[in-house]
Amino acid sequence: MKRGKATIICEVKNGSYSQYPVPENKTGTYVIELLTKRILALGASQQGQFLVDCESYLSHPQMGTTKTVHILHNSEQPASVFSILESGTKNIHVIADGLFDLLMMKLSQHYTSKKQTKIESKGPRFELGDFCVKLGSVTMNQNFKGILVEVEYRPCVMANAVWGLLREFLQGLLGPTVPVQPTQHLMSRMNEIYTPIDTIYQYLEHFSAYRKVTGMRNN
Amino acid sequence: MNQAINVEQLNSALSSLRTVRSNVSLVFETLSNGLRADHGEDGKDKFLMELQELLYIVSNNLRDLEQTVNALPIPVPFNLGNTTYLSQETTQDRQALYTQLVNSYKWTDKIHEYSSFAQTLLSQNSLKRSYINSGSTKRRGKLQSNHNVAPLQVDNVINNIDRSYNDMKITISRPFASNAVVSINLSHVLKAVVAFKGLLMEWVMVKGYGETLDLWTESRHHVFRKVTESAHAAMLHFYSPTLPELAVRSFMTWLHSYVNLFSDPCKKCGCHLHHTSLLPPAWRDFRTLEPFHDECKQ
Repeated sequence: MKRGKATIICEVKNGSYSQYPVPENKTGTYVIELLTKRILALGASQQGQFLVDCESYLSHPQMGTTKTVHILHNSEQPASVFSILESGTKNIHVIADGLFDLLMMKLSQHYTSKKQTKIESKGPRFELGDFCVKLGSVTMNQNFKGILVEVEYRPCVMANAVWGLLREFLQGLLGPTVPVQPTQHLMSRMNEIYTPIDTIYQYLEHFSAYRKVTGMRNN
Repeated sequence: MNQAINVEQLNSALSSLRTVRSNVSLVFETLSNGLRADHGEDGKDKFLMELQELLYIVSNNLRDLEQTVNALPIPVPFNLGNTTYLSQETTQDRQALYTQLVNSYKWTDKIHEYSSFAQTLLSQNSLKRSYINSGSTKRRGKLQSNHNVAPLQVDNVINNIDRSYNDMKITISRPFASNAVVSINLSHVLKAVVAFKGLLMEWVMVKGYGETLDLWTESRHHVFRKVTESAHAAMLHFYSPTLPELAVRSFMTWLHSYVNLFSDPCKKCGCHLHHTSLLPPAWRDFRTLEPFHDECKQ
């Protein structure tokens, strides 16, 4: 699948992410296996693996106020690199091709990588009718942090129209008690046409939340 | 009447042409055989006599032919349209195309005739199970072809429908001669393409918002394949050759109700997704336009 810079063009995509609470004294692998069993019972077929990773860079103090740049990759858009610059209240994103990673290495004088906060979500990817479900276990520095479930309903491009349907699907999969809330970013983009960068923003929001959680459980 | 005489004359001309040809070949046959045993001693003279006789017959035949041909009226050139170029076709296996063309023309002509008979019969005997009662009884006898409507009139009908919806954009194109192919953009939900023959709908294909639209390839999403299926059913349901404008308008109203395809739950089970098919309600009732799952609609 080669998409290159064409990722800027909106795609038929829609995502909803849910943070799945890992029950006490159960490992993440156990939950992933449980959900895999459930989704296979619904008639899904596994279509490979997926990986979303995020690395954050801090600008050098000499350049004025410290700014953070997040670099994210998504295996759904393998030829693209997503970068989001946090500057106060506004976030600026740039979608570039693979060479952007090398550029960041060149810029290491000005932007230093926070290696210990490299975080990723990876796991199996399933297709079920028009849905694409990804069960990701989130790890930061090889430490297990939690589970993110991504559900994509491919026929629809508007989050607002399909929200009820996605919630119904997710609650059917995870149980009716699991709260399904749109992230802050998605809230503001409910009536827009969904693009791959919206997925990235949602992941970043969840990743940032995980980073703030101090207590780590090793599995 | 005039034509009947023509055919007779043509026949006689053709038969005299045939006689000339067969007699000429007889002359050559005799010549190639040369002297035979039955010519006897004086073979040479007898042979020449025979040849002379044959040539005489040929010249007689030729005169006949000339007479009949001169009596034939000079035909007015037919306007055959593009089919005239068929005669210039050089490929061997395509030369037979003209006969096929004539045959298919005859067939379409017959089909058109029979279907108009069938239509009158069917509208008299109401066999329709659906609740649309064709109001054609009043208009019976007014047999007009709706396959062949001026493009301008079709444009008017479709543009009128286009103007009555804000969130449904209809564009007309004519890639295949005079018949309209209409593409419909329904909000950010779906796209559809409808092929028209005159004012009658012939084919519908529904696809997703981001997909490329063409007449034949199906959508890659299950839900739009289901909607295409429903749209075919609707096209047949609303079909009414006597009131084609009403049919098109009803179909468009019905299609417009898909604007809430993803957001409205099924009227019967109250869920978005059906538990086995995992599809949203992809069926709309023809009369009430309420959403139902395919499995819930009974």
